Amino acid sequence: MIIEEEFAVDAALAHVWQCIRDPGFVAPCVPGCQDVEDIGDGAYRAAVKVGIGPIKTTFNLDIEVLEETPPTFARVETRGQEGTNASRLTAKSELTLTASGNDATHVHYKSDVQVVGRLAKFGLGIMKKKAKALGAEFAENFRNAAEA
Amino acid sequence: MINITLKVNGEERALSLPATRTLLAALRNDMKLTGSKNACNQGVCGACTVLLDGVPVNACLVLAANVAGREIVTIEGLGEGGKLSPMQQAFVDAGAIQCGFCMSGMIVSATAFLAENPKPSRKEIRQALSGNLCRCSGYVRVIDAVELAAGRSGA
Amino acid sequence: MEFHQPTTLDDALTLLAADPEALPLAGGATLVAMLNAELIEPSALVSLGGICELHTIEATPEGGLRLGAMLSHATLASEARLTGGNAVMRQAAAQIAHPAVRNIGTLGGAVAHGDPSSDLPAALVAADAVIEVAGPSGRRSIAAEGFFEDYLTTALEEGEMVAAVILPPQPESAVGHYEKFARVHGDYATLSVAVVLAMASGKCSHVRIALGAAGATPVRVVAAEARLIGSSLDAGAISEAAALLTAASDPVDDVRGSADYRLMLVPRLLTRALAAAGGAP
Repeated sequence: MIIEEEFAVDAALAHVWQCIRDPGFVAPCVPGCQDVEDIGDGAYRAAVKVGIGPIKTTFNLDIEVLEETPPTFARVETRGQEGTNASRLTAKSELTLTASGNDATHVHYKSDVQVVGRLAKFGLGIMKKKAKALGAEFAENFRNAAEA
Repeated sequence: MINITLKVNGEERALSLPATRTLLAALRNDMKLTGSKNACNQGVCGACTVLLDGVPVNACLVLAANVAGREIVTIEGLGEGGKLSPMQQAFVDAGAIQCGFCMSGMIVSATAFLAENPKPSRKEIRQALSGNLCRCSGYVRVIDAVELAAGRSGA
Repeated sequence: MEFHQPTTLDDALTLLAADPEALPLAGGATLVAMLNAELIEPSALVSLGGICELHTIEATPEGGLRLGAMLSHATLASEARLTGGNAVMRQAAAQIAHPAVRNIGTLGGAVAHGDPSSDLPAALVAADAVIEVAGPSGRRSIAAEGFFEDYLTTALEEGEMVAAVILPPQPESAVGHYEKFARVHGDYATLSVAVVLAMASGKCSHVRIALGAAGATPVRVVAAEARLIGSSLDAGAISEAAALLTAASDPVDDVRGSADYRLMLVPRLLTRALAAAGGAP
């Protein structure tokens, strides 16, 4: 499924880029993100807890920045699985930042997310809504933190 | 493990099973009553339909431990003395059986339905069996069979 | 996994309070399906089947009905006291899945699961039902409209469960109707419209409408109802009410229909539902 979102941040492009490339800054903005580890060469490990009602899980994610053009573009691949390998997730994402004036930045991201395994039985319709809601929550958290 | 007894096809059965074991798994694996079929395990296909205290239920959606002491009738318990039940016989006579996988669920559902509604219309039969899927898509003769059984019992 | 079979509500609540990973087991129609699909892994199940008070139906002093949480959909579907406006509940229950599932699934289970594409939530909102919740700190009542919060998420707090649903007395001449559109008999709704309508001298005197499968929760729009009240339910009024409901809807895209398709169903099903509830010109 394709998840595409955009949001505006009242901060200069260079600052927003700096924030978005700092795992210590981004992790607290990601809903359910439990911890993040920088393993070097643009690669990170993170654990993210997600749930819909009684269905709850934690994904262990490997995140790799495959390509970047500071301060405007990054291509990121995320692979992950639940502790038990019962579901696997892959996401290919592109992040684009555009300056809109001196003190405002437009953030756009597009992810192609694939989930296989037990959670895929759950139905893509609700999963997509949930992903969108988490994306909106991330945008809100990130905006507040970057503008602070 | 949980110790329970179930009355299955008129016989008391003592079982020791984990809490997550469904009635379907208990029937098939613990009691070797394999007439009830396991297909979707989600309550969608109806192949596991059995009677619980006389009403049809999807055995895959019932935990065995949760129906301790209650009365179950499976496809194996419909006939008497080695003879097919009237509904089973009607399915045979109407040529309603193709691969046969959905048949035990169909026949159990139809048996319960006819007990409640002895003179159904074809539409009512279709609705009553809407929870029993046949992937051979041989529905027409299934409905013929239920009509045949209804006609015979009324005669 | 532990398995408990308490015989009183207090014992059930104590067991649930003692273990945050325990789940109450009502009929199991959804919970056991989720267990089979390995979507949930509760540490314990607290079966509610042996708790007598959850199986009762009684008239309330106000003239409504109090429905115990463990009543099966099959019982509701044949409950003769669900008449007038409250017939919307009987009709919705009668259209849940198939006979075998209706014999298993329960009112409380469906309410607690909070699936917006299931049939009872919209009917409960249209009927202005109140959900009676029991928990470690006693009982509380929550209007159905505020009870459903998100996909599979309700106002139930940790350790709480649904004890009963209270249907209010509906206006004298009210008629309830549940209009469900599904791909095949017994499927989840692609879209549904639950309505409680009363007409007086050819004009709408009372109406409550809730859409199922139209968003994360049942969709109700007070302004849409206000547009209908006092009207003769002419095509113009219905079309404006439908536009308000459509604007408030945010359905999912899935195998049962695209979001756009579901939105297109809103005016059509609303028209049918109002006509079936006696508002036909």
